[in-house]
Amino acid sequence: MRQGSARALDVIGTLARFGLAGIWLVSGVLKAADPDQTYIAVRAYDVLPTSGVAVVADVLPWLEIALGLLLLVGVGTRLVAGLSAAVLLVFMAGVVQAWARGLAIDCGCFGGGGQVAPEETEYGLELLRDTGFLLLAAWLLVRPRTLFALDDRLESRPVVRSGEGRN
Amino acid sequence: MGGASRSEKQRRQQAANQRLAAAGITPRKSGTGGNRSALIVVGVVVAIAVVVGLVVAMTRGSGTAPVAANYPVAVSGTVVTAGQAGAPVTVDVYEDYLCPQCERFENAYGDEITAALNEGKIKVNYHATAILDQRTSPPGYSTLSANAGLCAANAGIFPAFHKQLFDEQPSEGGAGFTAAELVAKGNALGAAPGFEQCVTTNGNAAAIAAATEAAARTPSLTTNGQFGTPTVAVGGQKINLNDRDWLKNATGQA
Repeated sequence: MRQGSARALDVIGTLARFGLAGIWLVSGVLKAADPDQTYIAVRAYDVLPTSGVAVVADVLPWLEIALGLLLLVGVGTRLVAGLSAAVLLVFMAGVVQAWARGLAIDCGCFGGGGQVAPEETEYGLELLRDTGFLLLAAWLLVRPRTLFALDDRLESRPVVRSGEGRN
Repeated sequence: MGGASRSEKQRRQQAANQRLAAAGITPRKSGTGGNRSALIVVGVVVAIAVVVGLVVAMTRGSGTAPVAANYPVAVSGTVVTAGQAGAPVTVDVYEDYLCPQCERFENAYGDEITAALNEGKIKVNYHATAILDQRTSPPGYSTLSANAGLCAANAGIFPAFHKQLFDEQPSEGGAGFTAAELVAKGNALGAAPGFEQCVTTNGNAAAIAAATEAAARTPSLTTNGQFGTPTVAVGGQKINLNDRDWLKNATGQA
């Protein structure tokens, strides 16, 4: 019974891991494939100076792909989930400031991005979607154990040596 | 007594570790932080990603070194023609000074175009185009800047002024540059007398609107009936700007 529920939690975690991996890989590849559009999307948030926009636009797609690959193979799942959550929170902060300042932009989350007509903004939906992604990351942060993860091979199972646990 | 309590502690610790292990968490041993090898792999992969991004960025920017413009400029209506009249290849460029894609186009190909103009391989018709007047508040920066571009050509500073307006492109949704700011930029570049009046009166506004309308209705300049900026045509045919070698192909140097 207890073992069965642990197994179910493993399966949920595995789905969260592959789900988040897919999200990062798709969004990263779409951004890397169109660097000019990514530059325009980053610039539209109107937060960074020109040189900062260029660096973020050039590095971000590859960072997303890296997070996606790490989650896909399941290395350092907990750490990568934490990094994913941090990046997602930065994205959400960007959308919130754009909304609050009355900018009219597309988030460019999965390619695209830049200015849109004021009635075409979808800030609420974009934040809702990011919240969903954040939940996947949160699950893995709290319970990083998943199936088919390289972590299983890398990690030496905790061995309690005699004498440990003192103090 | 002491031994019994110690083994009890050990037993509890072990049980706790097993519960953590079931969740996939490696208990920290005093002094070491988490799982070393996983930490290293994550660090290396993230570092590689950052390096790849920066390398891709650098190889993209290093097409040609910055070149000083050294070509004749003529104005006819709302078209600025750059380069020698007898150049073998004609390129038509439709740009809006507020359009971010146009800024990207100038950033990517500006120096390559300048070099080809200097060498007399091409001439470029820069069509004053305004499609984003509603994207500034107050509206109208697209037309104001397009008109200022024509004024700059008459004032003998077109190449530098055109480049500077894209290098310092104001954000969509903002105010854009005022006429006074545009005048100041032109004067700093050594504009001939009359530039200020030409910019502030915005005399070509109606002609720019008409030319933009006409371009938008020209089938060879649209894609699926849509006209946008930048639109670039070689020999009258719109070219695909995703082809990074479009200019080399146009000048027969692929």
